[in-house]
Amino acid sequence: MDTQTQKTTALVQVTDISKIYNPGENEVRALDHVSLTINEGEFVAIIGQSGSGKSTLMNMLGCLDTPTSGTYMLHGVDVSHMTDDEQSDVRNREIGFIFQGFNLIQSLTAFENVELPLIYRKVPRRQRHQLAKAALEKVGLGKRMDHKPGELSGGQQQRVAIARAIAQAPPILLADEPTGNLDSASSRDIMNVIHSLYEEGRTVIIITHDPGIAAQAKRIITISDGHIIDDKINPSIEE
Amino acid sequence: MEYIKSSWKNITMNKARTVLTMLGIIIGISSVIAILSIGNGLKSDLTGSLDDMVGGAVTININTKKTPKTLKNDDLMVIADAIPIIRGVTPNVTQYGISYYRREMGTRIFGGNTSSACEFDKGFYSGKYYTQDDVDSGNDVCVMSQTSALLIFGSTDVQGLQFELTINETTRILTVVGVVRSDEAELERFREIVKSGDIDYFYADIYVPYSLLSDKYNLGKDEFTSFQIYPMPGQADEAAAKAKTLAENILDLRGQGAVAIQSYASLMEMYANVLDSVTMVIALVAAISLLVGGIGVMNIMTVTVTERTREIGIRKSLGARTSSILFQFLVESSMISLFAGFIGMILGFVFSSVLGKLAEIQAVVHASDVAMVVAISVFVGIFFGIYPARRAATLNPVDALRAE
Ligand SMILES: Nc1ncnc2c1ncn2[C@@H]1O[C@H](COP(=O)(O)OP(=O)(O)O)[C@@H](O)[C@H]1O
Ligand SMILES: [Mg+2]
Repeated sequence: MDTQTQKTTALVQVTDISKIYNPGENEVRALDHVSLTINEGEFVAIIGQSGSGKSTLMNMLGCLDTPTSGTYMLHGVDVSHMTDDEQSDVRNREIGFIFQGFNLIQSLTAFENVELPLIYRKVPRRQRHQLAKAALEKVGLGKRMDHKPGELSGGQQQRVAIARAIAQAPPILLADEPTGNLDSASSRDIMNVIHSLYEEGRTVIIITHDPGIAAQAKRIITISDGHIIDDKINPSIEE
Repeated sequence: MEYIKSSWKNITMNKARTVLTMLGIIIGISSVIAILSIGNGLKSDLTGSLDDMVGGAVTININTKKTPKTLKNDDLMVIADAIPIIRGVTPNVTQYGISYYRREMGTRIFGGNTSSACEFDKGFYSGKYYTQDDVDSGNDVCVMSQTSALLIFGSTDVQGLQFELTINETTRILTVVGVVRSDEAELERFREIVKSGDIDYFYADIYVPYSLLSDKYNLGKDEFTSFQIYPMPGQADEAAAKAKTLAENILDLRGQGAVAIQSYASLMEMYANVLDSVTMVIALVAAISLLVGGIGVMNIMTVTVTERTREIGIRKSLGARTSSILFQFLVESSMISLFAGFIGMILGFVFSSVLGKLAEIQAVVHASDVAMVVAISVFVGIFFGIYPARRAATLNPVDALRAE
């Protein structure tokens, strides 16, 4: 692998992206000409008030939605004008999602939930089982693999979700309010897991309205009314 | 494999709902199977040849609605002589009357010629059959079986005895010239019946020269619309066909379908007609239930998709393509209808074998029918599942994730 290109090509390169909901009468400019570059191995927090456009940005970054205008280059590939299926493949390969509401499938066990992205990636059964098991062990749930989400605490469920996000080792971890539904002990717990993943070299983008969570990131981007109003290296962290 | 596993989970999670959904398909498929297997059974029942018929006699009828022409005894003799594989031909005249010998006895009288002796393969207990002379002169003679002798005389040793026979107010005195052997068990049964005096529900059968009926009892003339042939063993079909053709030639009725072999073949035609209309009705029921069942599947799948919108969003966010979601829901709807199809098939088998027992038909199930049921079920599942499945598959992941 050519280290030169890795350094020069940004992992995430968003250029002049806008997202307009309900174009016409009651239109909402959720994102208004946003540009943003994130390099490999960064730990970025995107912070802003409720309704400022954080989730909309996360949907763009996660290839869950396409922008009204502007381009999004991921790994040097334009993903902003792809078909649904192409976007599905990009999500599967590049992005591990951690949602506020965990988003586990209730009828499946922890193990089966973690297996899902590997199934969609067509990983052979044996390898899939190994990877899913390893991911669950990594988040400390090796003994809870056969439990359904309903039988797990909130913190444990979020850890299953993290295991699912990292099982197939995507370059980007995208977390939208990952601790929003958790008590403070569980929150610390989850943030520790996310930290250790960052330390392993993964790119972490965490979306939050909680300054305490944002303060743990290396770079803090502040968004308001669909605009980026601040983008700085976290001053409280010594490089 | 994963798809089947997860579909199974979802189907069994909501058992009552699934069973209700399957009901239409179960009814549809079970009626399809029932008609098919009973139909098959009936067909294989009816394809037996004329040789399997009791007594080996084949009756040939002239359709009186199509022609006024009739055959004479001489014509029958011509047919008998012309076809070497025919042992004999006799007119077929049946009358009902009363015998009297110390008491009355209901009697069926069969008028024929000497060839009708072929009817009896067990030989004579005493005496012999009536002769050509008896036929020529219309003599007052008759032949009967041992059981009929029991019914009329209360004894089997009746050769030479006389009794009164009344048909339509004409009474004559007949002499028994021969007694034909009956089956021993049958004979024993009739001894008991006669002893008990409970003979009101029985008929005695006697065989007389047809000329006795036509000339002495004045019942019609030497004009027959029905006759019987006695073919050589194993050649019934060919003999009947030849006799039919010859009769048509004699009457100059070629190609008009006025002469018919009364056999399983014509019975089968009648059955087939009945079966066809029954099949139509059941097929209609089946089609309607399959339609209703299919709509039920569609409905339940739409509900399922709505309930599981969030799950679909999650799956899509993890990289599921449109096709995998589509496939997942199609597998689910096909499994519901396939499962229903199997239940329907088993019910259909049970139903048809019960019906078959009642109607004394051996229900027959072909492998092709089973294959057809599987095909129909999967088709219904896919056809009615495709709309909700497509809706699920094309959901926008952002909207789907926001559901609930
Ligand atoms: N699907 C949508 N349709 C219409 N308006 C939307 C939709 N999603 C978000 N919005 C609007 O866009 C703005 C930004 O929303 P969002 O990105 O969810 O903000 P945040 O996550 O920061 O709370 C809000 O005003 C919200 O009401
Ligand atoms: Mg939000």
